[in-house]
Amino acid sequence: MNQKIIVFDAGTLISFSMNGLLDYLRELKKIFNGKFIVTKEVHHEIIDNPITIKRFELEALKLKQLVNEGVLELPSSIGFKDVDITKKAEEIMNLANSAFISPNRPIHLIERGESAAMALVLMLKEKSIDSVLAVDERTTRSIVETPEDLRIYLEKKLHTKLKVNLDNFKELRNIKIIRSAELIYVAYKRGIVDIKIGNVLDALLYAVKFKGCAISGDEISQIERMK
Amino acid sequence: MEEKENILNILSKTKEAIKEGDTTKIKSLSNQTTNTASLTQDPENIAIAVIVYSLSKILERQGYSQLPGWDKFYRLYINSIDNSIKALNNNDEKLLKKNLEAIRLGINKLSGKLKDYIQDVFRKASINKASKIYEHGLSMEKTANLLGITLYELAGYSGERTINEIRPANPTDVKSRIKLAMELFR
Repeated sequence: MNQKIIVFDAGTLISFSMNGLLDYLRELKKIFNGKFIVTKEVHHEIIDNPITIKRFELEALKLKQLVNEGVLELPSSIGFKDVDITKKAEEIMNLANSAFISPNRPIHLIERGESAAMALVLMLKEKSIDSVLAVDERTTRSIVETPEDLRIYLEKKLHTKLKVNLDNFKELRNIKIIRSAELIYVAYKRGIVDIKIGNVLDALLYAVKFKGCAISGDEISQIERMK
Repeated sequence: MEEKENILNILSKTKEAIKEGDTTKIKSLSNQTTNTASLTQDPENIAIAVIVYSLSKILERQGYSQLPGWDKFYRLYINSIDNSIKALNNNDEKLLKKNLEAIRLGINKLSGKLKDYIQDVFRKASINKASKIYEHGLSMEKTANLLGITLYELAGYSGERTINEIRPANPTDVKSRIKLAMELFR
């Protein structure tokens, strides 16, 4: 398969949806030579579960529409079985959730959706398919990119010494990560953003930040300087 | 129950603060539950974090006490805290669970405006506690599942706070991440 894949975690899609920016995702898909994939676990988090809650029914329907349109696709569209992803996700979840150990217990940090998204990226890499994980929340990203920093952070917040088994994260280091913020930047640079007044890039980056994208004000300033 | 002594201390001090009518102290005590709840992820610890925080919010709004059903509900709330302290002292986990559950059942039995208000306070307390636990380093999905809220609720609430200002000591360079994204769409 000679194509690229972006595997989406729930938070990135939630940032787009809650800000009313799903049309940008539609347009990004049109200029992307590849597929946008969500695992069944993430599908559950962003559609199947919230669609049963009146407060979030509309958000879930908007994302379901994207699946129906083929903007977001399931792993079966690229020949991957849910059962295999779930199995790999369990392995990742067990490794991550046993890596940081307080004096009394390991700290359970991540769940099935995040693990399944990472699992699919690793499975794609095994087949030499170019893939990237889109994840907005901080913990999953830190597990992949800076687990030692995460240990320091957890020790500070939990007021306890932690042992960390960095070997548990070896495989995860191969995962490349982007956030909704970077996708917004691409949309801006590629002329997808239809608002042409004011400091629209700043407004969009802060909008995704306020809907859960873990990006600092300093990082936003840096991105704006790259306009 | 894990971290029993800490929870016992928090509930006992909460009881004192109720007598003193000190809602600020109750709120502060509820913050002390976050650390334990993040570490143990034990359902009772999490329930206590939400119950104590909700209590501070309920007592802050004195208008509730004028509504029908208030006296009965308030008695049940305070009795449940008293009985939870007894259960912890006796290492009776079953009784503790029963008393924490009694508050939830008591809310379901309320009617009219009071029910709407109290349900809203508890839902918001769950989101508040979730954002605190997320801030302690658990993932967003893990935290949402522990508190029984949706990712939409947590993403919206946590985004409004300063959590997203926290950066790792050695973050991936912003330019590298932008470059990666731009190359993907080349």
